[in-house]
Amino acid sequence: MVTTVRARTLFAPLEAGGRAETVARQLERAITLGLLLDGERLPPESDLAAQLGVSIVTLRDALSSLRERGLVETRRGRAGGSFVRAPLDGPAGLEHRLRALSLHELRDLGDHRAAVAGAAARLAAERAVDSDVAALREHAARLVPATTLTERRRADARLHVEIAAAAQSPRLTREEMDLWAQVGDLVWLPVGPEGLAAVAAEHDALVDAIERHDPEAARLLAEGHVAAETQRLLDLRVRLGDA
Amino acid sequence: MTASAVSRDPLAGVGAEIEGVLASIGALRDAALEVVDQAGGRDLCRADLAALRAPIEALLRRHEGFAAGAGIVAAPGVLADAERWIEWWWADRGSGFERLEVDLDADSAEFYDYTTTEWYREPERTRRSAVAGPYVDYICTHEYTFTLSVPLVHRGRFLGVAGADVLAQEVERAVLPELARRDRVTVLVSGNGRVIASNDAAFAPGVVLARQDAARMLAPAGTAPGLPWALLERRV
Repeated sequence: MVTTVRARTLFAPLEAGGRAETVARQLERAITLGLLLDGERLPPESDLAAQLGVSIVTLRDALSSLRERGLVETRRGRAGGSFVRAPLDGPAGLEHRLRALSLHELRDLGDHRAAVAGAAARLAAERAVDSDVAALREHAARLVPATTLTERRRADARLHVEIAAAAQSPRLTREEMDLWAQVGDLVWLPVGPEGLAAVAAEHDALVDAIERHDPEAARLLAEGHVAAETQRLLDLRVRLGDA
Repeated sequence: MTASAVSRDPLAGVGAEIEGVLASIGALRDAALEVVDQAGGRDLCRADLAALRAPIEALLRRHEGFAAGAGIVAAPGVLADAERWIEWWWADRGSGFERLEVDLDADSAEFYDYTTTEWYREPERTRRSAVAGPYVDYICTHEYTFTLSVPLVHRGRFLGVAGADVLAQEVERAVLPELARRDRVTVLVSGNGRVIASNDAAFAPGVVLARQDAARMLAPAGTAPGLPWALLERRV
């Protein structure tokens, strides 16, 4: 696991419940980003706790919360241990996840994402140099050839993380990574085959604005891009009705 | 006149420190080339790189608090049992050393293609050491980082690079006291044109110097041997 142990130890809340939640989120992020794969066995609890710099009790709390969310499965016996269960890469699993979210939560998540993506795009337009723009182009070009929802989400997430990195901000970069781990493949659920080209065009326009060093245009494009995604998710959530 | 009359070259201290890290990377490079020599004509494998763990840890120990991570990366096709390979460790205060694990499968969506990074491309192209960055390293340190790298060249063949990560804040810590002593606005700029540190808030770290209006008032004031950085100060 590519860790942020340092950042986590610095900023983790001190009380036990908060710490377990932080560890759970960290592991969830690693699973959603594909750093931990489906079926992968987690290290023994004592090793993992030491690696994460938390007590075994805290780790167990975190694992139990991941179990509740279906991200980890614990098997007893000799071949036992905790195993990763990656989120389903299929519309049925995702629809289930979407139903669990309220319109209010989706709207709030969208607002947060738009704020981060907008600020990152604005700063990237101010601070990107030619080699940054070249890297952004490369990442933008990976979206169209991607076939599954997960591949599209990863190409999409990577571009936005790269934009935050081009903004020269480790904090915005971490924030983008966190937000993508939370929203995951959901973003691509309401996008049909015909929508792919439209999203790719939005990405290209955003990279164009960054290349022109036009901060306001970049911010507006990024905010509009996320707002459109949020709108699609809200529409789909309404259509799905109650669980 | 105040302190500026007695101020020293702000780049002297950090220049020496970076030179020291580059020398240690040179030792790591030599250890890596020895591994290649010892293999004779035999194919190199990941297991051969286990011998580099000691020099990597020695580097991190010697430059503790300054170098955050270090290791070698192999050029594609150099190892028989892995198309690409990163043997990179980072120092985790308290729990010793931890190996960096990244996805090197070119078909994977999470693929980390280090051959496109500035710290790999530069030594590959120039066959000389490079000081890349600052950049947001979201793969290893998750911080604003410089990567120092040295080419691994064996009988004319480029085999990869040896390198180390230095956090931008460590560089700032090393130069800021001297910058703060100066009366004149002074800015330290990286090879890619970004402000590393300055004694004036108008030149915040990370901004592209050429795009700041106030940059027109600056003139070159010094360099450090072997570093692609420049010191600029306000014209009198």
